[in-house]
Amino acid sequence: MAALLLLLLTGVNAYEALTLPLEGKRLFNDMLMPGQVSAWFNTLMTGCTLLYVMLSGRDIRKVGNHVADYFALIFFTLCGLYILSSYNTLLMLFLGIEILSIPQYILAGADKRNLKSSEASLKYFLMGSFSTGILLMGIALLYGAMGTFHISEFSFPTTELFSPLALAGILLIVVAFGFKVSAAPMHLWTPDVYDGAPTPFASYMATVMKVAAFYAFIRLFHNSLGSVSNKWMLVIMIITAATLLIGNITAVFQQSVKRMLAYSSIAQAGFMLFAVLSVNELGRQSLIIYAVAYTLATVGMFTVLAKLKDYTYDGFNGLAKSNPMLAFATAIFIFSLAGIPLTGGFMAKYYAVSALMTQGNAMWLVLFGLLMAAVSVYYYFRVIWAMYFKPGTPQLHEPMTTTDNWLLLFTASLVILVGVAPQLVLAFA
Amino acid sequence: MTGMIQYAWLVPLFPLAGFLINGLGWRSLSRKMGATIGSLSVLVPFIISLLIFLDVRTGSNSVLSYFPFIQSDGLNIPFAFQIDSLSSLFLLIITGIGFLIHVYSAGYMAEDDGIVKFFAFLNLFVFSMLLLVMGANYLIMFIGWEGVGLCSYLLIGFWYKNQDYTSAGRKAFVMNRIGDLGFIVGMLLTLYCYGTLSYSSLFPQIGSANDLVSTNAKEWIALCFFIGAIGKSAQIPLFTWLPDAMAGPTPVSALIHAATMVTAGIYMIARSHLLYDATPITREIIAWIGLATALLTATIALRQYDIKKVLAYSTVSQLGFMFIALGCGAYTTAVFHVLTHAFFKALLFLGAGSVIHAMGGEQDMRQMGGLGKKMRITQITFLIACLAISGIPGFSGFFSKDEIVSAAFAHGKMLYAGALLGSMLTAFYMFRLYTLTFTGGFRGTHDQEHHLHESPATMTFPLIVLAILSVFGGYIGLPAVMSSHHLLSSFLGLNGAVVNQPDFLKSFEALHHQEWTLIAISSIVAIAASIAGWAAHRKPAFSANKGLALAFEKKWWVDELYDAIIVRPFLALSSAFDRGVERKGIDGLVNGTGKLVRWSAERMRLLQSGQVGYYLFVMVIGIALLLAIGFFGNPF
Amino acid sequence: MQEALFWIVSFIAIACALGVVLSRNPVHSVLFLILTFFAISGHYILMNAQFLAIVNIIVYAGAIMVLFLFVIMLMNLNADAEPQKSRLVQFAGALSGGALFLVLLAAMRTAALSPLEKTTNDIGLVANLGKVLFTDYVLPFEISSVLFLSAMIGAIIIGKKGDAPNREVASGEQLDGMDNLVNTEQLSTGANANLPNAFTEADELEAIS
Repeated sequence: MAALLLLLLTGVNAYEALTLPLEGKRLFNDMLMPGQVSAWFNTLMTGCTLLYVMLSGRDIRKVGNHVADYFALIFFTLCGLYILSSYNTLLMLFLGIEILSIPQYILAGADKRNLKSSEASLKYFLMGSFSTGILLMGIALLYGAMGTFHISEFSFPTTELFSPLALAGILLIVVAFGFKVSAAPMHLWTPDVYDGAPTPFASYMATVMKVAAFYAFIRLFHNSLGSVSNKWMLVIMIITAATLLIGNITAVFQQSVKRMLAYSSIAQAGFMLFAVLSVNELGRQSLIIYAVAYTLATVGMFTVLAKLKDYTYDGFNGLAKSNPMLAFATAIFIFSLAGIPLTGGFMAKYYAVSALMTQGNAMWLVLFGLLMAAVSVYYYFRVIWAMYFKPGTPQLHEPMTTTDNWLLLFTASLVILVGVAPQLVLAFA
Repeated sequence: MTGMIQYAWLVPLFPLAGFLINGLGWRSLSRKMGATIGSLSVLVPFIISLLIFLDVRTGSNSVLSYFPFIQSDGLNIPFAFQIDSLSSLFLLIITGIGFLIHVYSAGYMAEDDGIVKFFAFLNLFVFSMLLLVMGANYLIMFIGWEGVGLCSYLLIGFWYKNQDYTSAGRKAFVMNRIGDLGFIVGMLLTLYCYGTLSYSSLFPQIGSANDLVSTNAKEWIALCFFIGAIGKSAQIPLFTWLPDAMAGPTPVSALIHAATMVTAGIYMIARSHLLYDATPITREIIAWIGLATALLTATIALRQYDIKKVLAYSTVSQLGFMFIALGCGAYTTAVFHVLTHAFFKALLFLGAGSVIHAMGGEQDMRQMGGLGKKMRITQITFLIACLAISGIPGFSGFFSKDEIVSAAFAHGKMLYAGALLGSMLTAFYMFRLYTLTFTGGFRGTHDQEHHLHESPATMTFPLIVLAILSVFGGYIGLPAVMSSHHLLSSFLGLNGAVVNQPDFLKSFEALHHQEWTLIAISSIVAIAASIAGWAAHRKPAFSANKGLALAFEKKWWVDELYDAIIVRPFLALSSAFDRGVERKGIDGLVNGTGKLVRWSAERMRLLQSGQVGYYLFVMVIGIALLLAIGFFGNPF
Repeated sequence: MQEALFWIVSFIAIACALGVVLSRNPVHSVLFLILTFFAISGHYILMNAQFLAIVNIIVYAGAIMVLFLFVIMLMNLNADAEPQKSRLVQFAGALSGGALFLVLLAAMRTAALSPLEKTTNDIGLVANLGKVLFTDYVLPFEISSVLFLSAMIGAIIIGKKGDAPNREVASGEQLDGMDNLVNTEQLSTGANANLPNAFTEADELEAIS
């Protein structure tokens, strides 16, 4: 059922992407302004959700007794995503962020038999409310300075007269977004929550939800605040550098693949922040392609993880011998996350870096990012190493079905497709 | 044969198909099937490459654009192949030698369970290597560049049950990635300065009247690309992975770590010769790094006992020679040496593989000796290869190496002296290897002696073909005094694919009257060193090495040095981050480590409430710092 | 007159907010919170938003706070139940909060507050509010229902009996409406505080290995 509905939604969004004007159409008294790009983004993300539901449907059913509710919550987050991709007022931004977040708090705690899950939910909720407070304060300050909620009507005076109110508002919003996308130093919740949450939900939280927050980030900061980018650029640069550093270096020492993926999602967020820093066409395109490539690979990785009993690296030992298809798909996902050419991850990193180069004022960050990408190979390849080069018999929860295998292979081939023909992803972007 | 070029896309398609068939069906395909499919999917491209080569010889060349790869405003990179004399020559080397080695592998790996998987990886490697040389822009080249690195990783660790082998694979991969970083940065800088990555639109810009990019920027670009080459072609300081890479099956060492992949760096610089023409400082650096590598690794090769390790260090050393040539501006000479080296080094590795096969996996030369009696074909072909690599007149290595030494002479007397010393060492250690292995009496166990046998025909056939090539391959590039027509450089010069640096050409031509002297000197040095190498090891005595010899045997302790200054501090840093900053540091501060004992009863509970609090604490401090920076620290 | 009132109300609001944080007895905290809400309602009235002021008192000070009190009483929380926090924790809290406050203050020091133009005096009346809500702001108004719906579903999932690990969590079931979410979360704080911390153990294991 859910899959059918998602298919329908993908179709509707694709239709919208084809018909909506590029510059956007004002709806509901200017509350929303969906354009071709945001409709296309919706299409892609709905498609990813569809794939996700097909891949992890069985695992979701195993989490607890309230399967229908879990799917309902996933649909609510999609609703939040649609708002975030087309909002035109700070009010809708706030609503979107909350609609996106509240289901996450619940999904994180869905596995009530597991204390870690409840704890993750609680932690996430407490810290999330904190960031909501910050977001609200930021919005209030920005409203005070601008006199309007409509982001397309912001106008900034010349630099000397720049209001500290507006600046404080912008910076607080940066911080709140930083929390949602788990950027350092607001990242501390991420490892615990992803580790504690049931694996299929961690997968969704780390991908579609995070990406939606990124799109909202870009929508506000490129379209409306782009003209004053020199005011917020430095702070985001520092956040980006810290995120890359902490995410990558800490991931090196993890023993659990699930925790490693959590840190890796922090590290990948660092690269997606490149897109925020690049206030240009290429920056937005790079975000979309990064979103797709990262989502596909991460959802795939988490799906594989959900099949295994042991989440440590040792749990992957000898997977290539016992389940070659599974190991092959995993290898593709890992290659993509590590950014090896011919996979989507490479194209995504390539676009992100090119976008930042075009922006041209943060060459040091480009170099630093590349260095960190090289470090990331170390921890990603430990999985490959374990699968292909170590003896062992991995324990699966239940044997893989043919459908599972084919779906994983399909996902893997999509990852490759993004890497070979990134034009497809950017068809309407 | 015109029009063959437009079918160039078929060349990489076959290995890819071979990879897919073997890779997906490695459980169900029989060993024979896998080997046949694997070999055929390289043979067919070889035939096509031959036809393309004949086509290119008549002067045609083209850039074939297939589909837009990346397209957005200001950035337009097509998926395109460039077929000209340089790439067609490399196509021949890759598919030709690749085919021979595939055939050889069918015999060498016949007993191995994973042979089909092995062929799948080999085919994938050939595919990536073809992408690397055929690409019409740096991005396609980079895809191949990463692809070959990945295959090398997979093949080095092919016998994954041995822990050392897999970590050798990992070392190779990580070191290559360090080099790749340079490549990426170079690529991005190029994009930034010139706005394109396609050779056909980039190179005409360099040095033209409207080239606004400063020389400094060009030097940086060139240097970054060279760092990529350092990683891939195993030069100082990133050379240590190549000897370790010998953990892989011997055909892999022959194909990847001798004939093709490691020469990718040379290919890349030859391809970018117009860039390097304009960057004299970088070329100077290249020449000296090449020389240092050639000498350092040659000395290490003097005292190794593992037959494959000697060959590995010799490969690094020969690559160093090629970089000397590149540094001098003699690009065609470097390509010439790539070609001849591909013949004789592949032959040496395959010969060594044949020996190891006969010895039942034994690689220590101290256990060998007198193998020549049992393995005639291997011995003779190996001898030919030794003569070729040592630079004995008449064999292929002589011509190419002589050209390098002369180029070094034209560049400077210091470089010349170094290169001459290097070629002397080469001859010495190669004949040490030959003497220890094939002459004298057998030193191994009785069982091994009983087991000795000549290898099957699938293995000796490639040896013979390569031996013929090793003898005659050099005649396509006779020195100017012997023939006024240098076949190779005129072929490479077609449509300006690769032309030597103009200044270098002038000083090289000025040498003509001295050329006979130079040839005589290098011939005498090579012959004398060969004889010395033979004489010194006729009656081997293996005593513990002391002093300098120990330093040679222990590889100058380079691995230990890297371990101490890079690997350990890095691991320490990451563990410090993990324990200190993320978990214990502030957490410990908050709770007061000294009081923990008193609270042990309530410890869990306190940590629980402390943890979210600690997270918030870090977050708020972070936010305050960020805001402070945002308000007061903004330089814009 | 209005300005004097503003300062008085603001002072009460801040003082009571501090009281919420500082008092050790949870019941006192809740009472302080109610006072804070009253002060904020005072602000609404000063801004001519009478309807909001009333709603604020009815919903927050009335309904939600009563629920809070119920919970506290049901769980029998008192000053002794609160975990003893060390001075260091308090210091850290004060330090971080203070730093943030200082930075914001320093930045705002120079802010020139230009008042928004005041349109009419009856902007906060029910009729006007309703008109605006159902014309200009109809979308956010309706979309909020999605937010509440998801919160409600969440409360049901978390509060429902059956697969819960302990009985305290189940007591959240007695509450209804969207506020359930907040309350159940609060409840599980108490529930978790008594249980060994799974994360800390996992972390330590990793740190060792």
